[in-house]
Amino acid sequence: MSPAGRKLPGPGFAILLFGIAYAVATAFVSNSYYQLIMTVVPVWAVMGLAWNLLSGYSGLVSFGHAAFFGLGAYFVALAQIHWGLTPWIGIPLAGVLGGIAGLVVGLPTFRLRGHYFALAMLAYPLALLYVFEWLGYQELTLPMQRETPILAMQFADHRVHAFIALGLMLSAMGLTSRLERARFGLSLVAIKQDEAAAEAAGIDTLRWKLKAIVLSGALAGVVGGFYAVVLLVVTPPAVFGMLVSAQALIVAMFGGVGTVWGPVIGAVVLVPLSEILHARLGNVIPGIQGVVYGIAIVAVILMAPEGVFWRVKDLLLRRGSKQTLTPDGPAAAKTPIADRPERADGKPVLQLRNVSKAFGGLKAVQDVSFEVANGEILGIIGPNGAGKTTLFNLLNGFIAPDQGEVRFEGRNIVGEKPYRICASGIGRTFQVVRPFRRMTVEQNVVVGAFVHSASDSEAQVIARAALVEVGLEAHARRLAGGLTNKELRLLELARALAGKPKLLLLDETLAGLGGGDVEEVIAVVRKLAAKGITIVIIEHTMPAMVRLVDRFIVLDHGAVLATGLPTEITRNPAVIDAYLGKRWRTEGA
Amino acid sequence: MNGITLRKTLGLVLAASLAIAAFGAAAQKKDIEVGLIAPMSGPWARQGQVMKVAADLAIDTINKQGGIKSLGGAKLKLSVFDAGDSVEKAKNAAQRMVADAPDLVGATGAYLSSFTLAVTEVTERAQLPVLTFSYSDLITSRGFKYVFQTSATGDQMAEASLPALMELAEKASGKRPKTVGVVMDNTAASVAFVKPIRSTQLERLGLKLVVDETFTPPLANATPLIQKVRSARPDILLLMPTAISDAKLLLEKMNEFGLGKGKLPTISNGAAILDPDLRSNMNVEQLEGVMSVVANWTTAAQKDMVEDFKKKTGEPWATQHFMTTYGDMFIFRAALEAAGKADRESVAQALRKMDLTNGPAAYFPGGRVKFDERGRREGATLLIVQWQNGVPLTVYPAKEALAAPAWPKQ
Repeated sequence: MSPAGRKLPGPGFAILLFGIAYAVATAFVSNSYYQLIMTVVPVWAVMGLAWNLLSGYSGLVSFGHAAFFGLGAYFVALAQIHWGLTPWIGIPLAGVLGGIAGLVVGLPTFRLRGHYFALAMLAYPLALLYVFEWLGYQELTLPMQRETPILAMQFADHRVHAFIALGLMLSAMGLTSRLERARFGLSLVAIKQDEAAAEAAGIDTLRWKLKAIVLSGALAGVVGGFYAVVLLVVTPPAVFGMLVSAQALIVAMFGGVGTVWGPVIGAVVLVPLSEILHARLGNVIPGIQGVVYGIAIVAVILMAPEGVFWRVKDLLLRRGSKQTLTPDGPAAAKTPIADRPERADGKPVLQLRNVSKAFGGLKAVQDVSFEVANGEILGIIGPNGAGKTTLFNLLNGFIAPDQGEVRFEGRNIVGEKPYRICASGIGRTFQVVRPFRRMTVEQNVVVGAFVHSASDSEAQVIARAALVEVGLEAHARRLAGGLTNKELRLLELARALAGKPKLLLLDETLAGLGGGDVEEVIAVVRKLAAKGITIVIIEHTMPAMVRLVDRFIVLDHGAVLATGLPTEITRNPAVIDAYLGKRWRTEGA
Repeated sequence: MNGITLRKTLGLVLAASLAIAAFGAAAQKKDIEVGLIAPMSGPWARQGQVMKVAADLAIDTINKQGGIKSLGGAKLKLSVFDAGDSVEKAKNAAQRMVADAPDLVGATGAYLSSFTLAVTEVTERAQLPVLTFSYSDLITSRGFKYVFQTSATGDQMAEASLPALMELAEKASGKRPKTVGVVMDNTAASVAFVKPIRSTQLERLGLKLVVDETFTPPLANATPLIQKVRSARPDILLLMPTAISDAKLLLEKMNEFGLGKGKLPTISNGAAILDPDLRSNMNVEQLEGVMSVVANWTTAAQKDMVEDFKKKTGEPWATQHFMTTYGDMFIFRAALEAAGKADRESVAQALRKMDLTNGPAAYFPGGRVKFDERGRREGATLLIVQWQNGVPLTVYPAKEALAAPAWPKQ
């Protein structure tokens, strides 16, 4: 994907090497107990990867992955017992079942966020545990197949199980690795870092989260089904128990969240460690293995809070080091600032009619009506608490108005979701900048570009162009978390720009900038206007605004106080009294 | 070249035969390894520890009595494998047992029936004979050849309980009960126990069900349940909690309502209501007279041995897992004596042929050690245990009883 990446062996190569090493090691293990361990390690690695696919990338912590695992296990067991279905078919079907379960669980549960989501997820396996006990499935055993052991996956040589488990793990790693670098991964990571900003950047957050939980549930279902074949005995606590969900979480957290290698590292270290401690100490000082295991996990978490993978990566290459685009990137073509096209047509792009919004007794926006003409730069000013940002939130769909209508290009957009509004052509930035801090500058902008690009490479091209537009192309590889305030403002502009907006809502884009920086950002805004993008800007910096905008709207107490040309507004006594004057008085005090 | 090769070959053969001879000699003196696979850590560790004490005591006794005589007085040696707290850990432990201890001739375990199911999946494939007191019917319904169930299975116990109780009641009080009440939780053990009683036995025994209540543990308040029992006034009450806290609540409430201390004959199922913890957590007098149906307990035959156990461990009494594990070691001794060979296949064959009414049979209710083709012990019966003066004592059947049942005369 990146020019530098082509020279280095890709992540697929590393996965392949690891797979070969694991397979060779497995082939040489003759002790059946160690063969079993070689089977169980990939099982928990896949379970960790399944958890990671949802929770690691999207940040929605699931305490309930045992639900999918258990359904898979019970499906394979019951299908074999009642219909004689071979696990070779049963396990893929368990994956389908897991995916469906993911959808069923996801639809209601994604209405919740944060801790509430985590707790709700906890309920599913607990409920299923009792359901399966109630159904009378306290203990199921997969019947021993003496005639057709291979059809039933009951191999005399346990290494075959280990190889199948390894195959599952490599597939899960390959899948995760592909998705991680594609639109899927970037969209989820954007959701993890700032769900509202992601939605405003045109990402259909619910759809991506559902895709993630379906895939995650399918993986967990497959591995649960396979586990039933390995364990041969299925009981509700063994497959729906807290330990199953916890194990998925622990291996991923230990190894590193949000990466292919994290859950694998976690499983490769923790599963054998726990087993060996159990085998060596379990008979000597019963229970001590749990203590040692716990201490080991606590120690690692203290030393590497984000997991082993990230710690090692930090040590090897300093993350966030200053990197610039490689020379073969698109040339930083500086387009001269063109004159603004005559906003000849003057057709309204945006029309608000009697829009009101109240939060309890507070009337944040009352009966606001105005129009924005095509190609216009409209400034919105007003004292703090006048309802300016609320107005923007109404426009981009974060909140719905209590009454009134908002027409964009003639279409009423009230009630549409933010990502839809973004897709139809309204981009926005935030009063407090909301970059995806753990992503690079380029990735931030790529996320914004997805909304109008069919392929990932197309998004890449759009993002590059947007970066060039705002002059950030030299910082493409830096982590957004390390940018200066001005660069962050430009980044937000670029992200909004990548969505190819017809109308840009800029919320205090100049706030907190020094004199020189203000000029630089204003130049960029002018350039965008020159390209024909209609701009609505909230700003307090009056001298800059007077030079920038075509027209002002003054809000006070949620209502329109005045509208007019800059010269009219600065002389309007009502405006001076409500906004400019008051401000001067507080400055004087 | 040829000569050298020949000489080398001869040398090798000589060395090899010497090694075999030496090994053979060592094997003669080698201890015979018997396995115990049970939870040594986690929530069931206490029970696992009791099983270990039982096996150690039995092996100590066997070795003191001269070991296995048909094998030149070879001594038994116990290897312990921790089944932990989950099915997965139990299965891993079983795999470790068959991989790391190839000389094992047999094993006993693994406490919970779900653990035993997983463990025997491994041992069956390794053709290692396993004795178990887990009572799930599933264990010996899978067509396995190397698992032997010493307890009556769940179904057998449920079938046999009510007729036995009738017999006991009639003998003790002189009249047959006519009405019965059921108060149970909805766990698997209770549900399985009551199923055959509800479906066929009540009718067959001419009993009328006058109160039938099921609750989900844990119980918050026992008053409504016991009120119903008091107004229905059954002749006997089947009271089946599986959590010790629920047993305490129910029994205390019964005493409050004047139904305790045997006034309403109360019978339970399993060892929960006989647990030492119950005695330390409630007024002992309120336990008086409560009975329970179990697969094994201290019987008249083992009074001395149990005294020894109590002295060594400080446990107030020997529960069913102690008794059975102790007896299992004597079954292995008998099998080894009969086989005359210390290998697992010979032991398995000896177990299949075994038919004893003496020796180890003393430790198992029914008094006979013979396994049917499924591996179930023939004639495995149940015991009825009753709280008397703060100690649960075996009261039925008469020949194994330590005390006479106290049944209130009405």
